[in-house]
Amino acid sequence: MRTIGIAITLVLGTTLAGGLGAQDVQALLDRRVSPEVQRAVRDIAADAAAHGLPVDPLVQKAIEGGAKGVPGDRVIAAVRALAGRLAEAKEAVSEAGVAAPSGDVVEGGADALNAGLSRSQVGELVRVSQPPQDPGLTLRVAATLAALGVPAAQALQLVQGMISAGRSPSDLLGLPGQVQAGVARGATPAQAAAGLARAAGGPPPGRAPDWVPPGQRKPHNPHKP
Amino acid sequence: MGLEGEATDAEVVRAVLAGDVERYAVLVRRYRERYARYASRMLGSRDVAEDAVQDALVRAFDRLADCREPDKFAGWLFLILRNRCYAEQRRRQREGRPLDEADEMFAAPDRPDGAYEQVERTHALERALQHLTAEQREVFVLKHTEGLAYEEIAGVTGATVASLKMRMHRAYDRLRELMKEHLE
Amino acid sequence: MMGYHPLVKRLLDGELSLAELPPELRAEGEEALRLLGAVDRAPVALSPLLDERVMAAVRRHAASPAHRAWQWLNTPREVELRLRLRPWTVWAGALAAAAGLALLLGRPAPAPERGLATQVRIGSRDSVFVRFVLYAPGARRVAVAGTFNQWDRSAAPLVPAGTSGVWTTTLALPVGQHQYAFVVDGARWVVDPAAPAVDDGFGRRNSIVAVTAQGAHTL
Repeated sequence: MRTIGIAITLVLGTTLAGGLGAQDVQALLDRRVSPEVQRAVRDIAADAAAHGLPVDPLVQKAIEGGAKGVPGDRVIAAVRALAGRLAEAKEAVSEAGVAAPSGDVVEGGADALNAGLSRSQVGELVRVSQPPQDPGLTLRVAATLAALGVPAAQALQLVQGMISAGRSPSDLLGLPGQVQAGVARGATPAQAAAGLARAAGGPPPGRAPDWVPPGQRKPHNPHKP
Repeated sequence: MGLEGEATDAEVVRAVLAGDVERYAVLVRRYRERYARYASRMLGSRDVAEDAVQDALVRAFDRLADCREPDKFAGWLFLILRNRCYAEQRRRQREGRPLDEADEMFAAPDRPDGAYEQVERTHALERALQHLTAEQREVFVLKHTEGLAYEEIAGVTGATVASLKMRMHRAYDRLRELMKEHLE
Repeated sequence: MMGYHPLVKRLLDGELSLAELPPELRAEGEEALRLLGAVDRAPVALSPLLDERVMAAVRRHAASPAHRAWQWLNTPREVELRLRLRPWTVWAGALAAAAGLALLLGRPAPAPERGLATQVRIGSRDSVFVRFVLYAPGARRVAVAGTFNQWDRSAAPLVPAGTSGVWTTTLALPVGQHQYAFVVDGARWVVDPAAPAVDDGFGRRNSIVAVTAQGAHTL
């Protein structure tokens, strides 16, 4: 049973966050989750893999459930629900024109659906996340904004606005924190997001430069006759 | 980056964070003038720039624990000043302050050979800069006054080189239009 | 008047020399160079009084109770939490940790625990040190578990910061978004009320922290 378990895990190619190898994953599953639950999770995962869905989040969810002492049947239910969201997310992303989305993008899509965004909103976010944007990151940020209480349509608008203003993925990653800061000052999440959307047109916050700051070098004048 | 016998920025920052507030004067002295020119060009006035630099230095003290890399204090201070300059410009826009009332920024140097035209042109460019958008003015100032390359400007502003060049090229056209009498 | 020819713009950018312009653009190029020649690169001198004005303000700020409270947050020491909390409600929110706490103070506290995760400093290129803080005065043990440590309850214990009931730890996390929750006394999973939360699929919620390379954005 153990050998079969590892073989399937290897086939599914799991390396969870933190670079765990297949054997570590198996050890975690053993410690946390009963053999019956493991069997059920492996079935769901094999089915997901057959449909081109990422398997890591399913295994991760099972490990989480085990760690939290959740009863076996609820772990299975949660993993199954997650697989369903991943499938839906993959469809939404494909409809947006991405034929073979990476596991990361599908996961991001599932997060977004979980947070209350619609399939078409997921598709829209993927469409606007051309390089240097990262669609997986974009989706997760939108999901987090929605989790903060920003209405889905507004979260979408804010993220789109930042992208078209040329902001970096890192700037996007900072949006939830900024919304929260706005809420701390007394705004509703929607108001905080609206304020950020207005400011998105303004100058980016910038990054601390690595180079010698202005004034420390002779001005470069290529036009000396 | 410290001179022989002088504390580095990182050492001073750590000392200030540990409670030695008076050491902050070292950083004030070191960096008070470094971005004065940038601030003056962005804000169109040396006096307003001085206020901005002063506020930025105080704010940098208030937020010193946020300075992720204390040996890059200067760059971090620049960002604080930059945000302050943008905030000042937004405020002015909201208040509808006419740009033509920008204060005299510098005393025209005496030109014994009478190159009055050159001085006039310099004044005209300073005024014209105030008619650009803040982003256009900034890329122009960072490249041509401060001597940064597009890649460096991209690193500071977070914009791509391509979008910076677009802004700059629009700035060139606008400046040509605003300065047409002085360029012939 | 038309804008400059694209080649003249490249001249202005320093990518071409005047000699490389086609003859018919030479005059326009010279005009453009007169524009650049008008750039004033003279350093700008500020008033010598600026230093003293800055230091006077700095001394005032350093003496304020809010600043002293902020200093405490960054150097754990034994302190009465109750006394220090109050000034943070009026703090300008520049410090995200203070914003988190202000958020906490804005809520009535039915839950006895309050927490937040703040980013403090850059670790390596790809990971950032994130500080987790939980106010749990009645707790015997506190840990943080999340996607970054496979939800292991024993992997990241918090330690008490003095006798105030505040628990804290600092972890190196990779850039990106992570889900987490606090575990009190080994069994009670507590979400971070100062962070956004999502349904964990088990009828509970997980908190989210967004870790960026600049370390400037916290939840």
